[in-house]
Amino acid sequence: MSADTVAGGMPETSRSHMAVATEEGTSCILETRGVRKSFGGVVAVEDVSITVPAGHIVGLIGPNGAGKSTLLSILAGAQVPDAGSIWFLGEEISRQNPVKRARKGLTRTFQLSGDLPRLTVLENLLLAAPDQSGEHLWAALVGKRLWKRQEEALVIRARALLNRFDMRKHEDAYVNELSGGQRRLVEIMRSLMANPRLLLLDEPFAGVNPSLSRRIESHLIDLRADGLTMVLVEHELGVVERCCDPVVVMAMGHVIAEGTMGDVRTRGEVLDAYLAG
Amino acid sequence: MSNSDIYLLTTLLVYTGVAMIASWGLDLQIGETNVLNFGFILFEAIGAYVTAILSLGPDTANGGVQQYVFGAALPFPVPWLVATAAGAVLGLFMGLLTLRRLRGDYEAVVMLVMALVAFYAVSADTSLLNGSEGLSLIPAPFQGLVGGGPNTSMTYRWVYVAVVAFVCLLAFFVVRRITSAPLGRALRAVRENDAVAMSLGKDAVRLRILVQVVGGALGALAGAMLVQWVGAWAPGSWTYPETFTLFAAIIVGGRANASGVALGAIIVPGIILEGVIFLPSIGPSYLTPALQWVLIGVLIIGFMWFRPQGIIPERRRRFPALALPGGVEQSGAIQLVDVEPRRS
Repeated sequence: MSADTVAGGMPETSRSHMAVATEEGTSCILETRGVRKSFGGVVAVEDVSITVPAGHIVGLIGPNGAGKSTLLSILAGAQVPDAGSIWFLGEEISRQNPVKRARKGLTRTFQLSGDLPRLTVLENLLLAAPDQSGEHLWAALVGKRLWKRQEEALVIRARALLNRFDMRKHEDAYVNELSGGQRRLVEIMRSLMANPRLLLLDEPFAGVNPSLSRRIESHLIDLRADGLTMVLVEHELGVVERCCDPVVVMAMGHVIAEGTMGDVRTRGEVLDAYLAG
Repeated sequence: MSNSDIYLLTTLLVYTGVAMIASWGLDLQIGETNVLNFGFILFEAIGAYVTAILSLGPDTANGGVQQYVFGAALPFPVPWLVATAAGAVLGLFMGLLTLRRLRGDYEAVVMLVMALVAFYAVSADTSLLNGSEGLSLIPAPFQGLVGGGPNTSMTYRWVYVAVVAFVCLLAFFVVRRITSAPLGRALRAVRENDAVAMSLGKDAVRLRILVQVVGGALGALAGAMLVQWVGAWAPGSWTYPETFTLFAAIIVGGRANASGVALGAIIVPGIILEGVIFLPSIGPSYLTPALQWVLIGVLIIGFMWFRPQGIIPERRRRFPALALPGGVEQSGAIQLVDVEPRRS
């Protein structure tokens, strides 16, 4: 990590990767082709093909049971698709596990139980940083001289991120001592420490009070301005309208509409899906 | 202090030191990483058996009264080192067998079953490790240096205590280095939520296998030290309830805290199980052991109910204030930070 890092924001290295991808004509950072997933006899996701353009927040909406979270899990590598393929930065990653995908810059937040409750907020952030020399057994046994400087640099970067999200005063709190909304912020900050090229957000506003929701929304828009690409699964359509472009609508495991929020909200099949759902 | 008192006291100290090392090994697994290894005693057993067969010499020695494989008479500390390595290899084997495909309750059951299978295999096969009779007449190490053995020289007994204390310090150092480093943070993340850890690029399977290897090495080292103190080892020495003694030490002392685990090892295996040798016996001969296990059971339930964090809880990691390069204060504003080159 020789490049300068924007404290509290996107690392320069990540930006340059996306810039290269764009210059080469790869307008999308992630693409799925005909993805299918079933559980027993229940088809959760069927023939889903979507593209995620770099530097955008793609909204993924639909009624309950539409397959949004399953698709997000497939993108993150937590679920393996039965059929179809997933391409990230021009490379097929369909069979790669979450560890490999995360190391390539594809990270996620969780709809439920994404906490590491008995790690402090600062530890949560430090954990996510990639390529830490102190995570190797030999370096740990030899001692701090092999990892102390890198750790201090990460602490500085994590604190800048905490400042940006106005969470600095909570750095020593265990995550289970925070409110639901603060935990969501920790998840987002933690993902940012992982140097993401694509961040998958699974209902980050669920159960969060309106004040914190507005803060999270504002942070997401700022991060998009910094160049971060995101996929946002969300039920609150107002947030989707303000943050996302394009929007993908799913129902019964299928993609039924794509476009701007203004476009899709007038489509009859979308209205039918929501009314039926 | 009479020789009898020294005899009892040194026995207590060695047993406690051995239990402490084994407890640290198990705590790396269950306390730091949430690997529920109900078969941990298998590590102590392999350390003890390896040390025994590497110290006894060929099985034709001692009149050929014992049958075992690969007898050798290697000098101290070679048997201990080989035993430690054997524990690490067994940990790797157990890890690859259970942790790659199984999770949670299933892996715990499989590890317990593995310990039981090994127990019955060793008990049944008389030519492997002398069957259920076990191995005896295992020579004590460095007797020539001290001028006597554990049964003839009180000096020897104190020297052995000193060696155990030194190894304890070494093991404490290893455990603290691991848990204080970013590696320890990654282990705790796996403990808290392995799906989240994996989504952040931490290879949960590799980390769980790693603690099986390191914990297994510590467990085997404990077995090696114990067997050369006792001079004998049989399947009856490593029945599965022995693992629960170590679990109790961790629960009582404080999981994921090396100091707490040390205190737990002093209280449970030390005072409750071994300290009774200082007390006058009461009732029939079976009463005291039964009461010991009842007490351990009550302690486990009591602590899990009223103080699950143990006597010395896991410490909250706080980081010192750090200035940006050039003494620039941190603020909420976006600023460029020079980050150290990664060391891969």
